[in-house]
Amino acid sequence: AASHFTQMRILEIDPNHVTFITLISGCADFPSQGKSLGPLLHAYTRKLGLDTCNLMVGAALVDMYAKCGHVDLARLCFDELKEKNPVTWNTMIDGFMRNGKIREAVELFDEMPERGVISWTVLIHGFVKMGLFEEALEWFRKMQVSKAEPDRVTIVTVLSACANLGALGLGLWVHRYALKKGLRDNVKICNSLIDFYSRCGAIELARQVFEKMGERTLVSWNSIIGGLASNGFTEEALEHFDLMQKQGLKPNDVSFTGALTACSHTGLVDEGLKYFDIMERVHKISPRIEHYGCIVDLYSRAGRLEDAMSVIQNMPMKPNEVVVGSLLAACRTRGDVELAERLMNYLVHLDPGADSNYVLLSNIYAAVGKWDGACKQRMTMKALGIQKKPGFSSIEIGCDIHEFVAGDKSHNKSEDIYSMLELLSFDQALCGYVPEAMAKDMLGNG
Amino acid sequence: PAPATAPPPSVNDLERLCQEGKVKQAIELMDNGVKASANCFHSLFEMCSKHEDAKKVHDYFLQSTFRGDVKLNNKVIKMYGKCGSMADARRVFDHMPDRNMDSWHLMINECANNDLGDEGLELFEQIKKLGLEPTGETFQAVLSACASAESVEEGFLYFEEMSREFGISPTLDHYLGIIDVLGKSAYLNEAVEYIEKLPFEPTVEIWEALRRYARSHGDIDLEDHSEELIVSFDSSKAAANKIPTPPPKKYNLISMLEGKNRVTEFRNPTLYKDDEKLKELREMKTGGYVPDTRYVLHDIDQEAKEQALLYHSERLAIAYGLISTPARMPLRIIKNLRVCGDCHNAIKIMSKIVGRELIVRDNKRFHHFKDGKCSCGDYW
Amino acid sequence: SFSSPEEAAAERRRRKRRLRIEPPLSSLNRTQQQTQQIPKPIQNPNAPKLPEPISSLTGNRLNLHNKILTLVRENDLEEAALYTRHSVYSNCKPTIYTVNAVLNAQLRQSKYSDLLSLHRFITQAGIAANVITHNLLFQTIMIKGLVDNGKLEKALELKDEMIGINGFSPDPVIYHYLMVGCVRSRDSDLVFRLYEELKEKMGGEVVGNGFVVYGGLMKGYFMRGMKKEAMECYDEFLRENLRGKWSAVAYNSVLDALCKNGEFDEALKLFESILREHNPPKSLVVDLGSFNVMVDGFCLEGRYKDAIEVFLKMGDYRCNPDTLSFNNLIDQLCSNGMLVEAEIVYREMDGKGVKPDEYTYVLLMDTCIKENRLDDGAAYFKKMVESGSRPNLAVYNRLVDELVKAGKIDEAKSFYDMMVKKLKMDDESYKYMMKTMSDVGKLDEVLKMAEGIIDDEETEFSEELQEFVKGELRKDGREEELTKLLEEKERQKAEAKAKEVEAAEASKRSAKAVINSLISPIGKKEAETESGANKNAIETSFANKE
Repeated sequence: AASHFTQMRILEIDPNHVTFITLISGCADFPSQGKSLGPLLHAYTRKLGLDTCNLMVGAALVDMYAKCGHVDLARLCFDELKEKNPVTWNTMIDGFMRNGKIREAVELFDEMPERGVISWTVLIHGFVKMGLFEEALEWFRKMQVSKAEPDRVTIVTVLSACANLGALGLGLWVHRYALKKGLRDNVKICNSLIDFYSRCGAIELARQVFEKMGERTLVSWNSIIGGLASNGFTEEALEHFDLMQKQGLKPNDVSFTGALTACSHTGLVDEGLKYFDIMERVHKISPRIEHYGCIVDLYSRAGRLEDAMSVIQNMPMKPNEVVVGSLLAACRTRGDVELAERLMNYLVHLDPGADSNYVLLSNIYAAVGKWDGACKQRMTMKALGIQKKPGFSSIEIGCDIHEFVAGDKSHNKSEDIYSMLELLSFDQALCGYVPEAMAKDMLGNG
Repeated sequence: PAPATAPPPSVNDLERLCQEGKVKQAIELMDNGVKASANCFHSLFEMCSKHEDAKKVHDYFLQSTFRGDVKLNNKVIKMYGKCGSMADARRVFDHMPDRNMDSWHLMINECANNDLGDEGLELFEQIKKLGLEPTGETFQAVLSACASAESVEEGFLYFEEMSREFGISPTLDHYLGIIDVLGKSAYLNEAVEYIEKLPFEPTVEIWEALRRYARSHGDIDLEDHSEELIVSFDSSKAAANKIPTPPPKKYNLISMLEGKNRVTEFRNPTLYKDDEKLKELREMKTGGYVPDTRYVLHDIDQEAKEQALLYHSERLAIAYGLISTPARMPLRIIKNLRVCGDCHNAIKIMSKIVGRELIVRDNKRFHHFKDGKCSCGDYW
Repeated sequence: SFSSPEEAAAERRRRKRRLRIEPPLSSLNRTQQQTQQIPKPIQNPNAPKLPEPISSLTGNRLNLHNKILTLVRENDLEEAALYTRHSVYSNCKPTIYTVNAVLNAQLRQSKYSDLLSLHRFITQAGIAANVITHNLLFQTIMIKGLVDNGKLEKALELKDEMIGINGFSPDPVIYHYLMVGCVRSRDSDLVFRLYEELKEKMGGEVVGNGFVVYGGLMKGYFMRGMKKEAMECYDEFLRENLRGKWSAVAYNSVLDALCKNGEFDEALKLFESILREHNPPKSLVVDLGSFNVMVDGFCLEGRYKDAIEVFLKMGDYRCNPDTLSFNNLIDQLCSNGMLVEAEIVYREMDGKGVKPDEYTYVLLMDTCIKENRLDDGAAYFKKMVESGSRPNLAVYNRLVDELVKAGKIDEAKSFYDMMVKKLKMDDESYKYMMKTMSDVGKLDEVLKMAEGIIDDEETEFSEELQEFVKGELRKDGREEELTKLLEEKERQKAEAKAKEVEAAEASKRSAKAVINSLISPIGKKEAETESGANKNAIETSFANKE
């Protein structure tokens, strides 16, 4: 596109606003190249006075700067606009959210003369993108109070927030809402629903949605396969994987992640390797980190730690926490300190800041009684200033999300909660359960 | 908001709302300055069942011209009693300019309804001290107070006092009152005995009361017995699709005579190969649950560690889930890190104890805990 | 404004929890203000917990109560107890009333250990027991203590404890149980002592339901040979009878006292008058126990026909015979040479929907064997196994022994084959059958049996048994065959293991192959990691191309 533009210039054809919009959004979509080209284009439009007068060009510019990470410049452009319409506002809010500037985004949102569905959605979507799911849902509620009707995009966004929080109650409500609005057959919404239900562990509901769908896209299949796999329904997941192909759909990398997860869940080593092989050889999909993760998990689970180690050492990308975690956890169960140490040495080169690996390794030391080693790991963590991530658990009761950390006493029913736990521990003791007092709880999840 | 052209709401609107039983809207109208009539208060006092509403209506009543009306004040006592706020009822009662016998009765009855039988009985002592003349109705209230306080002796004492001191001959309601006293105090056998000794043929109401208490206390034989008698009064009262009572199986000396209970001889501890017990024995030998002491950190005292384990966040979330939902409902927990091994073990056992499916999503996978097992097959 | 970060974090979480994400459609209707928390009154943790009043049995807890009662009526006690337990872990805790209903039903069905475990559970769960719970528990301990273990001492102690410490008024029924226990251990002194004690506790005179102990008292007199006093007691009982009514327990025990002590005619008279009064059962009731006592009485008199007749009549009085009472009658008939009649009664069980148990079958089997109807005896055994009842080893041994003695070796062997899969046999039982086989020269069978034992993972092939098998084989000079068999088995085991290892190796190899194929893109990666500079160079050249 850029070279075409140059040609246009050479041919002295005056570019009009459509040209610019196309070009600028082109830059926005490829930030790395757009970074250099964008400002040039901006300068050119400025000359023509398009940037402040033409709304669409202005919006495109704001979008471009925001996507390139220059949110301050985006704001400048925005402020200079002579006229603003909802699109420019929304673009600016999106720009702020994209760059993590929540306060600015919210302020701007409050300043807005009219807030449409899109503005709300942009804001909620921004929160979801940043992993602030509770906030997203809070804004969704505000949206409802303001009587704005959520559209399908909002619904998809909210469902993804619910999926992450495990807010089954709210999600069910959204599902009902979608049905009421006649969005029963909307494929995107159905796909989100499948994903949402399976991420809440309500696999039965996910299955129902899937069965009732009139048309299914690749995403629908991937969602159901992944859902079945992560919930431990291995056979069914693999059946769906085959069925999908029989219906003429070509599996993509996500489908294979699903199938591999299914295998790793029940320890089907040979099958897993077979799928991995087919993926590369037949479907020409180059494996991504998730796929390697599954293979490592498979081997670790089957007790073939050396094999897992060699996969980690030979994979073409840096192993992430998940991949390493699988193997380390297996080392712990097997008490293989030597391998764990080797693995850690390998990892420290790659990423010295990952906390969970230190925790795991020190747990391994503790498990085999090497207290010195355990302490050393903790010291190293301290010295490097690595803090372990605090663990928390949440549960949804009647559409409220309740979150707890270990030893939490801030809940207003904490007295009842603790007496219930004590009662449980009595009964557990009767069942022969003795709490495993291990190093883990000092260092571990909590 | 109502359109500007509509006339301002009047007392008629309020009365209509009261008749329709719309408490909320009625209170709203009063908030907007509509003055209620005596009729309105009358029906509002009847209808209020929430303390919040009761308080509001009472406030408006105190501002009204009817605030001295005894009948309405009595209604207020009843209303507060119904809302479970005896402190408020008591305040109204204490500040009433002139009480009648009804006020006393209501007060005692409401005390009884709110598990404050003792307070009710104190009120009755006051009645006597003030020299008021108790009636049959008074004693009915007193007996229900006795029932509420589960004080059997006093119940009988007051029953006697009624005819001896005040010359009131007991009616069916008083006898029923005594049965209430016995029934609520869990004196079922005594209640049966009392009924049999009644100076008149027990009526169907009496058997119905007995059946009610038999049900509450879970004595199905007594329940069946009274039911049989009720049906003999009125065959239409036979329950159409009653489940037949299972025959009792008392291996004891009353139903069965000595030495006949030798089944155990024939069922002696010979082990069968499919015996659960045998299986358990085998499993214990081959890697059942053996507490792993290897993990005990020597520099931390045991108790603190166990505490820390016990109060891991997922367990707190589960405990909260338990106390907030009905039995056997599955719980879904989301955890941001991996579930620790000990919690995994503990939750497995928990799922069996509490009889629920516990679904835990950690950052790695789903764990569907059910009946002491986990879908992840102990790999996590 | 927080003094510590923990406090701040706690506050944050508290705030977060308040954050309602409820669908606004419903939350809009809600008043904005938070419903105020009513602070719980501070309770003294040491104060004993009071049982909840009956008024707590409302709403959801009443629904739960009714649900459990239905389960009790359906006789699904396991589910009733389980549901009660599970409800403790919910937002609707069961009331003590519901628990009592389950306990009562468990007592009624003689499920003592279930009862005790549920009671232990509710104590832990902090559900305070009321009078009824205590009574039920006490009855259980008494009955269990007396019938199962004959622990009279312990029961007496318990009574003193309950009356002394817990301040419960003495329940004559409990005295009745104790007196029955005394009669059983032939301690008439204790009978009278208990009677005096009860009299004293009741204010010097036994009244009302105190008459429940009269049966025991009469037995005490009879035991001492004081027939006159016993009958005086009975007269008093009858006189009091006109004034009130007592439970079936009282009558049954008096009936029993009469029957067992040569006063059967009196007993019959009383029984018939009870039956007349039973309709409607207003003041008098008969129960299963009354019929059982009478059946016993008739039998004792040798009037077996009447016994059967009265037994079959009990259905008219809302009494249903259970397995135990069937067994009782069958036992009586069998031990008095009336096997045919016993079998008629046995067939009656099916019509009444009563399941025969081990006792029933073994009674019939033993009697058949005694009366030289070996085949019928064997048929009963077979039926017992097929119906899911579980005869014990001794019964099996008895049958096989009889069969062998009668020369029915093949049949005996077929019972061995049937039971060896199910029953955990001991060496003696194995030896017996092997010896039998060896005696008729079927050494191959002996070897096959040995093989079966080796293959069975549940059973250990003991040294002693091995020696025994060798000894039998030696008779025919085939002792080597066992050694061979053992070796062969060892070899097979090793082979299976090797195969397993082989399979593991194979899958490992195939995995290696896959890894190698994985490694193919690694060439590229190594280039990347090995020389960071190189990578930079590539990037710059890339940029330059731009």
